[in-house]
Amino acid sequence: MSLAQIAILIGLAVLIGRLKRARQHALLAVSTAAIFWLQPAEPVATLGYWLPFGTMALAVVAWAFTAEPGARSWRKNWVSAALMIGIVAAIQVDGASSRLLSAAVISPPVSYVLLGSLAVVGLLALGVRVRAGRTVLSVGLAAVLVVAFIILKTPGLANVIVTGLRSHVAGGDPSPIQGAISWLGFSYVAFRLLHTIRDSQAGRLPELTLGEYVNYVIFFPSFTAGPIDRAERFVKELRQPLVLTNDDWLDAGTRLVFGLFKKFVLADLLAVISINDVVVPRIHGAGWMWLFLYAYAFRIYFDFSGYTDMAIGMGRLMGIRLPENFDSPYLKQNIALFWNAWHMSLTQWFRSYVFNPLTRSLRSSPRPLPTWTAILITQVVTMVLIGLWHGITTSFALWGLWHALGLFAHNRWSLWSRAALPDSWQTAGGTPLAGVLGTFLTFNYVAVGWLLFGLSSPALAWGALRVMVGAG
Amino acid sequence: MTPAGASRHEQLMEELAIHIATRILKRPGRIILPDEPLLSSGLIDSFSLVDLALFVEDQYGVRIADTELNAQTFDSLAQLVTLIADRQADA
Repeated sequence: MSLAQIAILIGLAVLIGRLKRARQHALLAVSTAAIFWLQPAEPVATLGYWLPFGTMALAVVAWAFTAEPGARSWRKNWVSAALMIGIVAAIQVDGASSRLLSAAVISPPVSYVLLGSLAVVGLLALGVRVRAGRTVLSVGLAAVLVVAFIILKTPGLANVIVTGLRSHVAGGDPSPIQGAISWLGFSYVAFRLLHTIRDSQAGRLPELTLGEYVNYVIFFPSFTAGPIDRAERFVKELRQPLVLTNDDWLDAGTRLVFGLFKKFVLADLLAVISINDVVVPRIHGAGWMWLFLYAYAFRIYFDFSGYTDMAIGMGRLMGIRLPENFDSPYLKQNIALFWNAWHMSLTQWFRSYVFNPLTRSLRSSPRPLPTWTAILITQVVTMVLIGLWHGITTSFALWGLWHALGLFAHNRWSLWSRAALPDSWQTAGGTPLAGVLGTFLTFNYVAVGWLLFGLSSPALAWGALRVMVGAG
Repeated sequence: MTPAGASRHEQLMEELAIHIATRILKRPGRIILPDEPLLSSGLIDSFSLVDLALFVEDQYGVRIADTELNAQTFDSLAQLVTLIADRQADA
């Protein structure tokens, strides 16, 4: 997002925060328009319209498949439905002519949009009407989400789709954009939807109206970069009458100023001296490589946590307290504490839906594996999946594996050291010296892992590591 | 809380403290204070947390969902005991 876009969104958040009864509807309208407005131009021109349309469609259909009977009545939902249809239609008209709302949205013909809308309405009706078989529908939707995720995150597959689509556009596609599809916010939207589908199956999802559900899924402050809130928490805040105190304004303002400073000053300045594919092969001194790596480590932290600060600040202006995503991660004394403090909402999601069920199943098995084997399996599966969430590449898988091995080694060390060494030797809760040593080791372990994250191939990362240890 | 309830509370606290010290931390002599942070401090890691949940479910017949295994649901022995007692009362 650009500075101008963020400034406009902050302004809109302030305006929404002034509303009393119409807050939910205004929020829904702004979030719907924002996902089209923020969507970048695509290598196939009309995807700039279809991808945000797809986000809306997925959210609406997922609501229909998960909503409790009490939330499905027309009376409770018609205003939200009318608002969304009105805005999506207005953007189609705008994208076909003036393109005032978004330069990136080149609308498909109205007949195609009508057909797409009919398909959504059909699925919506199916979800609302059907009594038995909703589990099958929601499992099907979860499968669609996972397949879409795999296609989008696998560079080769996404390119095949782009080439195929471009060749089918009569008269050639007008888009000047090269490269892969960028479905803005999809990684976060998919994980919010999967959470609601899973919790609905387990009978834990609260009763949500269409407006509440879609507001949760596409909440504009956290749409592009999280945090991934939980639906029950978000809706609880959304339903409370909004009274902003001076403290709220101060907190929101502080988070916004910090966020803007972190992202647009610190992160952007550090980007100049950070590792990347172009600069790394030209660095031959170990000290310089370490410097560029450290700069990257702080750049990625300031960039990401800056966006989180802005999302939390904007949410606060509208009476929504989003969860924290970072808690001074580079000051943690061991790798387990680091992962309790880095991208916390994502790691909590993976704990809830991958790590805990997998661990539970391994530990409850009639023939349980040895503890160390179970720990290794659950750490590797979870961390590699977290890596692949960023993109399905060897580098991200290895990055996940690096952290899984770090967590496993830490687990074994903790177990041994707790039994064999005095408390003062523990990195967390021991002497200050042990704490400092733990922080130093943890930060450097994480920083070396960033080589795999920040460079596009393991070969480049390996080359950089060799330079760092004086072997390059 | 009634005297019987208070006594049950203390018994739960003691049983869980012994379980955590001996089975999870592998340090039978370790004293677990009621308000000592267990998860946010890293004392109990995410793997051991699932083991603890399984123990609680087997021993006390209450369910702790996978989505609840975090420091927001309970972070100390006292909070865990309250959670167990509340769920037993609801059952």
